Amino acid sequence: MPEAAQERARPGAWVRDSPWLLAAVLLVAFAILNAAIQANFFTPFSLALNVTTVLPLMLIAVGQTYVVLGGSIDLSLGAIVSLVNVVAVEIITALGTGPGAIGAGLVAGLATGLACGMLNGLIVSLFRLPPIVTTFATGVIFGGLALIVLPQAGGSLPPAYYLVYAQGFLGLTLPIWLVVLLIGGVWLVGGTRFNRHLLAVGSNRQAAFQTGLPVRRIVFASHAAAGLLAAMAALCILGVAGAGDPLMGQAFTLGSVSAVVLGGTALAGGWGGPAGSILGACILVLINNIIFFANIDFVYQSVVQSAIILAALAAGVFASRRRR
Amino acid sequence: MRVGAVLRDPAAATLIGCVLLLGVGEALAPGFAGFGQVVGQFGVAAILAIVAAGQGIVILAGREGIDLSVGSTMSLAALVAGNIMGGENAGLLPALVAALVVGGAVGLFNGLGATVLRIPPLVMTLGTAGVVTGLLVVLTQGRPSGAAAPALGAFVSRPMLLGLPGVLIAWALLAMLVETGLRRTRFGLNLYAVGSNDHAARLAGVRVATTRVLAYAACGALAGLAGFFLLGYTGAVFVGAGEQYILPSVIAVVLGGTSLAGGRGSYLGSAAGAVFLTILTAFLTTLSIAPAERQIIFGAILIGFMLVYSRE
Amino acid sequence: MAPMPQAVLEAAAVAKRYGGIAALEDGALSLGRGEVHVLLGSNGSGKSTLCKIIAGAVRPDAGRLRFGERRGFFSDPAAAQAAGIATVYQETGLAPTLSVADNVLLGQEPVGRLGRIRRDRMGARLARIYERVGGLAEGIDPRALVMDLGIDRRQIVEIMKALSHDPEVIIFDESTSSLDRRQVEAFFGLVGGLRDAGASIVFISHRMEEIFAIGDRVSVMRNGSTVAVRDVAATSREELIELMIGGAVGGQPDRPPGRDRGDVLLRVAGLDAGKARGAVLDLHRGEILGLGGLHGQGQSDLLLGIYGGLKRTAGEVAAGEAAVPPGRPDAALTSGIVYVSGDRGRAGALTGRPILENLVIGMLSKERPSLVDLAGMRGRVRPIIERMQLRFGALSDAIETLSGGNQQKVVIGRGLATGPRILLLDDPTKGVDVEAKRDLFGLLRELCDEGLGVILYSSETGELIENADRVLVFNSGRIVGEILHGKLSEYSLNAAALRTEGADA
Repeated sequence: MPEAAQERARPGAWVRDSPWLLAAVLLVAFAILNAAIQANFFTPFSLALNVTTVLPLMLIAVGQTYVVLGGSIDLSLGAIVSLVNVVAVEIITALGTGPGAIGAGLVAGLATGLACGMLNGLIVSLFRLPPIVTTFATGVIFGGLALIVLPQAGGSLPPAYYLVYAQGFLGLTLPIWLVVLLIGGVWLVGGTRFNRHLLAVGSNRQAAFQTGLPVRRIVFASHAAAGLLAAMAALCILGVAGAGDPLMGQAFTLGSVSAVVLGGTALAGGWGGPAGSILGACILVLINNIIFFANIDFVYQSVVQSAIILAALAAGVFASRRRR
Repeated sequence: MRVGAVLRDPAAATLIGCVLLLGVGEALAPGFAGFGQVVGQFGVAAILAIVAAGQGIVILAGREGIDLSVGSTMSLAALVAGNIMGGENAGLLPALVAALVVGGAVGLFNGLGATVLRIPPLVMTLGTAGVVTGLLVVLTQGRPSGAAAPALGAFVSRPMLLGLPGVLIAWALLAMLVETGLRRTRFGLNLYAVGSNDHAARLAGVRVATTRVLAYAACGALAGLAGFFLLGYTGAVFVGAGEQYILPSVIAVVLGGTSLAGGRGSYLGSAAGAVFLTILTAFLTTLSIAPAERQIIFGAILIGFMLVYSRE
Repeated sequence: MAPMPQAVLEAAAVAKRYGGIAALEDGALSLGRGEVHVLLGSNGSGKSTLCKIIAGAVRPDAGRLRFGERRGFFSDPAAAQAAGIATVYQETGLAPTLSVADNVLLGQEPVGRLGRIRRDRMGARLARIYERVGGLAEGIDPRALVMDLGIDRRQIVEIMKALSHDPEVIIFDESTSSLDRRQVEAFFGLVGGLRDAGASIVFISHRMEEIFAIGDRVSVMRNGSTVAVRDVAATSREELIELMIGGAVGGQPDRPPGRDRGDVLLRVAGLDAGKARGAVLDLHRGEILGLGGLHGQGQSDLLLGIYGGLKRTAGEVAAGEAAVPPGRPDAALTSGIVYVSGDRGRAGALTGRPILENLVIGMLSKERPSLVDLAGMRGRVRPIIERMQLRFGALSDAIETLSGGNQQKVVIGRGLATGPRILLLDDPTKGVDVEAKRDLFGLLRELCDEGLGVILYSSETGELIENADRVLVFNSGRIVGEILHGKLSEYSLNAAALRTEGADA
């Protein structure tokens, strides 16, 4: 390679080329703040609990990131979580709560999430409908289906389900292992051709098409992946809740978008990555924690939390915009 | 106009849908399309239609314009108005003004964020919605608060003129005002120009950013007005009062044929969309279809409609 | 002009119409194996259209194509690319948020286990391409993001991307227009190397020097047809310019000489905006001041900089006594300046809106009424519609129902309706048919006689000769010469525009 290519064109470029950097700084700051007001924050028990809390949002946010990177958005992810949640509970309950039933419930849940994501991808990529309204509409449908499957929170899982989930393997809880797996998976995908092509599609759809990339298939795949990840999140939530809830997912749609924006990914597509969103999800959970432990009067909690999130979102948008 | 041309116009198709629903409803449940029933439906539709007017203006302005904070804005405006009135007719006018000002201020905040800071409208208005909802919790302490003036309750439900309640007359006037505002004022024509092609509009001397900020402010003020009338129905304000209007307001605008890309659409279309959604809800209720199934039908109609009318 | 016996690619009788306008009537190209074939012609002669058709990016209406043993046109760019035809366009087809390396190898990344990209093999391939491109790619960091590169380097990345496919035929569509002289030399080195390696090259250029520097043969196009093929060694500049403009080198057509210069309407001092550098000019009452030179040398940026559509980085603009503030088109409009772009789709037409709204939007911005009296407005635009001879169904029809020429009349009418004193025209007749052009320039002349001042940039030299009172010639962002009325000719303008030596010392 020519000598000139050995050097970075701009000093300090890595700062601007790392969309997750702002999220990392915020995360450290919030973690310190959290530790200051919550004495036992850095104990293994507390950390493990936090990981369990953040895992579902992390999974959904990673899925949302892939969709956003390709230039689309999915506002139905929360509804998919709800639907998968109740489908899994109903199937496990119907099949008699043995290990086979649990396995069938897991498979059915994942298949449901995948199918929902594929439906979104099909409509968005094949018919080229605006993704915001399309996925909002499919979300309404998925939410309705969830209410039909299980009209009210309830159903109960065999204890094996949540006992295994909470139990440790090799000294760490299952959610921690899942976070490790997720990070590994994100890293693996980050090096693939698919990831590169996804970014190209979100960056300049026309150019990607002219280069001969299968643009529709790529957008479709990103939606399908998001559906699958949302399903995993739903199954994790069951591991804590132990019962089904058809409204469980509602908050996750906006939470995932917030995590993505906080992580420095541009909503316009083509810039950012799931690493930032993972940090973004952690930040959102830490904000929750801080509000909870800060002895803020209950009635003020919501407004303080929303204001912090809005400010952080504005900062995230700024971080990603410098690149565009 | 030929039949085909009418059907190709989404607003007209939506209106035809309204008539069909009324007809089928009357056949299945006699009385469904009776005068009193229909007037009642329109009264319910009026509030949604007023929110949709603002939503439509923001969507017309283009650049992924959308306002998902209209629900909490409605609640906040209603709360302020309800506390000013305190159940007394004397406070009616100041309360109305306050509702408009509060709504307009929230809209202005959205507009500045979306335009000056260039935060994507989806993110900005969601963030605002969270903050305003939090504010509502603080102000209400989680309890229902404020009280509508008796005259306001009468205005939305009792016949006032020709058997129509005041809210319908107010809506009719407002509809004319909004439609005229869009077609016969500089702001309206600038709005269409900005939504259609903002670069060309700027070169034609249009102040693009100002126009967009005003669009959000107008949307907020209209949401405030809707909140004011909503108070007439509910009597007092609770935190989530306006939530149920957010997504239907977007659907009404889309059903009315306003392009999500901006620059194309009319208020009469959005109003027709609001009426259609309201009648559809009543229709499904009449058929005793449960809320969950109703939800699925809503989503399917929205997607079907877009497949026919909004293919890119 | 016998086709070379071993021609690798032959196109004949290719035609393409857009709406009512023929972009290409009888395009032909016979590309010999291992030659550098220059396509020469004025702006709008059909060179780019012919190349796009060969590359599969545009579907022709008629014609034949043979590439090696294969007959028939390509259905899309990917098919042409797979067959071995690569094209380097002017407008970049790059993903701005990806790195240089990712863009160059987009779609052909070497993959290892689990679908992961083999960084090592990618680096090796990239190194090969860098080596091939040589000095041209100097200083381009493969890890840099494309959005951080200047327009010249983006063009070079495009070239690298095209070469990554090891094409048999490479079409360079004015690839040198955004490169500086050193880069052009490196580019010639690259082209020579490619030719020696057996590749066949089509090269579009407006720069005469370049044709003689690297061309083997040259096909000249005029008004959508290929009119002549020459060996570069056996022709001259004069012959080529004559072939380009058709027949003898004529002088200015018979029309009254430039009128007495009236008062100065507009004064520009040291203006920097976009590509335009240090522009100084005075525009007089009743004058049509032409801007000439190769396409994209800063003429548009100067006009936008004056008007406020583009950021002004230095310099002053005054309309009469009043300073025109930077970056405020609405203020420029108020001070009597109007800007009209020929790029209707992006900068002119309010798509989806009625013709009437398109016409009055400028008036509204200038007069700022709160309520709009559309009936009154209709009456006020009527004389303009008549003077412009606009052909339309109803004023309530959407603007896109009109032909391109009539859409452009609407955009110009929008400006004229504001009653300007100064009109800035930025290649206003792009894609406009002959009749509409005649209508437009007839009207301009009348308005100038009434006291309007016009600055006209046109990519068609003929338009400047016929209509301008004097022409400022641009090169690389600077005004490099002034040709006065009486000296204006195809020859003088082309010669000045193609002159690269000493232009930017």
